[in-house]
Amino acid sequence: MQISVDHARCEGHGLCADQAPEVFSLDDDAELTYHFDGADVPDEHRSAARVAVNVCPVAALRVLP
Amino acid sequence: MTPRSVLIVGESLAGTTAARELRALGHTGPVTIIGAEPHGAYSRPPLSKAVLRDPGADDALFQDLDGLDIHIVRSAATAADTSRRTVTTTDGREFRYDALIIATGAEARRLAAPGRRGELVLRTLDDARLLRSRLETAASAIVVGAGFLGMEVAGACAARGVPVTVVDVHRPLERILGGYLSAALTARAEAYGISCVQTFGFAVPTGDPVRGVMLPGGTELTADLVVTCAGETPCTDWLAGTGLAGQLGVGIDETCATAVPGVFAAGDVTHLRADDIGPDRRAPFWSNAVAQGKVAAASALGLAPTGTPYDDYFWTEVAGLALKVVGPLPLTGEPTTVEGSVENGRALLTWKRPDGPSTVVAYGMRKPIKALRALAEAGEHSASR
Repeated sequence: MQISVDHARCEGHGLCADQAPEVFSLDDDAELTYHFDGADVPDEHRSAARVAVNVCPVAALRVLP
Repeated sequence: MTPRSVLIVGESLAGTTAARELRALGHTGPVTIIGAEPHGAYSRPPLSKAVLRDPGADDALFQDLDGLDIHIVRSAATAADTSRRTVTTTDGREFRYDALIIATGAEARRLAAPGRRGELVLRTLDDARLLRSRLETAASAIVVGAGFLGMEVAGACAARGVPVTVVDVHRPLERILGGYLSAALTARAEAYGISCVQTFGFAVPTGDPVRGVMLPGGTELTADLVVTCAGETPCTDWLAGTGLAGQLGVGIDETCATAVPGVFAAGDVTHLRADDIGPDRRAPFWSNAVAQGKVAAASALGLAPTGTPYDDYFWTEVAGLALKVVGPLPLTGEPTTVEGSVENGRALLTWKRPDGPSTVVAYGMRKPIKALRALAEAGEHSASR
């Protein structure tokens, strides 16, 4: 499973990092880091990552087909 | 007793959140979602923002429930029988349940007389697509309602170069955000190309198709587009005869339980029943739909919910400026500026209360909700000392 992040759309709400802290994190200025850019999300974090994608209030995250 | 089958009516944010939560809580029995929305589940907040500006935004909206073994039925619920524990759909099928979660949401309130064409609203993806296409050729627009949705829609009109007038009996956002932010945001909106008109009574859409509004003094404003952003009506027609729904929607308590055993409700279809905090009240916000979806799922399984059915976070966008708010509303009086300045369009503001948590507003400033919450709670602790 891979995830695409639309950084232009991200407003730094940070709900993804609350749901999946191993996958997403935000710094003090709410800039988002996605820890598996260009790689597969490890199996153990997949379910949390899916929840994170779906909870993004600005639809900046997508699970790639 | 753990229910065997859970039926969720409404493929909404509250409905899909409840479905995910049921699985997260370990429920392995059947979960069915009945949803009337032909596009399936999608995220609504971007509809009045990114989607109105950019057709490329549509694809990212759709939500999936892959891998959760949820049975999805794309049909509208037409009736419920809570004694037989069944729900009937438009296509004539009947679904039995052990526990029912009502999450049918709400629909846009319209102001034009029934049968009049051309009044635009913004609630669904199809509404947003229609408005987006009309903005391509429109030379002017009127938005009825200067609440969050109305100001977001007006901002999208202005961003698309369409001159727009917002009409309301209240000053923009004043009812919830108070006079201080209303004044600052109105000035910003005017500079952005949004004309704000305060009226002393309700504006009535005119024409067929609707091409304007009549103001109480007898003045008529006209425009190519009239978009009504005057609130929403809970979708409860299908609950007729069950005693579950009134004008404010389906009443729920702290556990998202309704007045009928085995029936729970979440999201924009609900109102919180009177308790020691306040009277019967609707709070149709995104963050509440998430909170209630989770609580309803736990309650439907007979578990004690770990959270409350309301959250105190929301955000909006006014004339290109992002606003995030954590804490109790409405706001009154002047804030303390923690960082930046409102004049410069970038500020962190707090409204302290002597008897409870502060309200924190990130005004044009990128801050994670967690940081805002920490600040709001710090206010509470210092106040209680």
